[in-house]
Amino acid sequence: MSLIERLEAYLTRTHGQPATVTTLSRISGGASRETYKFDAEIGGEAKGYILRRDPPGSLIETDRRLEFLAIQSFMDKGVAAPEALALEIDGAELERPFFIMGRIEGGAPGSPFAADPYGPHGRAIGEQFFSIMGRIAGEPVEGLPILEVTDAPAPDECWRRELDYWAGVIDEDELHPQPIVRAAIRKLRANPPPPAQKIAVVHGDYRSGNFLQDGAGNIIAILDWEMAHLGDPLEDLGWATDPLWSLPGSDTISGTISLEDGIAVWERASGLKVDPKAFAWWRLFASVKGQAIWTSSAKEWRDGGFKEPILAFSGWYTARRQDQILAAHLAALEAL
Amino acid sequence: MTPTLPDIMTGFAVTLSTPLPPESGGDYMVGRMGMLTMLSMLASQEAERGTAARVWENGAIRAVLGKAAATYDTPDGAMAKAAGQVDSDFTWSGLDAANATLRRLLITLHEKVEAARDKDLDRQIIALYGEMAHARRLEIAGG
Repeated sequence: MSLIERLEAYLTRTHGQPATVTTLSRISGGASRETYKFDAEIGGEAKGYILRRDPPGSLIETDRRLEFLAIQSFMDKGVAAPEALALEIDGAELERPFFIMGRIEGGAPGSPFAADPYGPHGRAIGEQFFSIMGRIAGEPVEGLPILEVTDAPAPDECWRRELDYWAGVIDEDELHPQPIVRAAIRKLRANPPPPAQKIAVVHGDYRSGNFLQDGAGNIIAILDWEMAHLGDPLEDLGWATDPLWSLPGSDTISGTISLEDGIAVWERASGLKVDPKAFAWWRLFASVKGQAIWTSSAKEWRDGGFKEPILAFSGWYTARRQDQILAAHLAALEAL
Repeated sequence: MTPTLPDIMTGFAVTLSTPLPPESGGDYMVGRMGMLTMLSMLASQEAERGTAARVWENGAIRAVLGKAAATYDTPDGAMAKAAGQVDSDFTWSGLDAANATLRRLLITLHEKVEAARDKDLDRQIIALYGEMAHARRLEIAGG
């Protein structure tokens, strides 16, 4: 049975009327899930959808229910989250866990590795990028659907929970000793940040490449919520501004606006303040987290039989670049 | 360890010889080919610099270990012993095996240096990290 036939069987059963999938094609977005766009006609109504299906092996071990509920948490909060429509943990007719979202038309992601990804719209995109991130950070977490699957750490424990998790990933997946990231982990443990000023939803992978923009200066969707959790809102800010997402030597964040301008926009949108000491901790942490993900990518690529080129790229180029960034962070901190 | 060049080349063969289902043509296929193209460019850099980077890094770590061994060596004298060795197997697997031993000793040394608050040697090791990362750098177009 083809994937189209499986999808039609699922939609027909769940809608109680015949469903026809008219187009189905895999797209490159999202390294941790198989992502497809498809059009379906259900009860005479045609609509575009996105299918996110677990692969046999995954770049990031994530819970699809968490991603689904994170999107639901922000569907009507003005942060351009897509519409979360259906979730099947047991896979149903599609055999592997999946969920379906509404498709947002007319957008494309910007590449973090492009020299000028937004052309004349860099400033507009940058201001929305930091503003939306700030609104996610400022949103009260009480009552959000994501609370069904994740708990809130104490404000002074956010850093430890994240660092323990990602250091553990490196312990588990490392195939060759990595002295640079090990030094960074020790530096973070020895110099913890101040407690989080509030507990917020952390998107977990908020960065260039994980949003859709319409080519006219508008962000129309924030994507890839699979690493969402509750924690210190500075975590997203540190990750989004990691130098990995900008070309080496660039004085802007991912071809948009400067770090200083971005922080000012984020502070206005969130109602929060960026403590420089705390932010320095979360920026170094972001590079540790990145290196953990790239370490897992290399292992997954090898263990999975060398099949997905994106895993090779992540485990190779990004890992080498991340080591350069980590070493520069360590040198800068040493000089203080 | 980041993938080796033989791993990358094996990946090319596997990717290009594995048939994809019909729904994975189009944009997805174009994206995969673009990724293979980028990996090919990175592979050419690694082929040019990979051996030199490995030989240099092993020598640089041995130099630091040799300098620090008198103060910070492990009870079994592993740092002094490693510092006195030279690379003799110049295959990448041979150089990487030696590098794994040397990197583990460097991690141990750095932990001891931090515990001793030896700022001068700490600074030297962090500077070495920068040089190691630079020697193994890969560059993409525009970057």
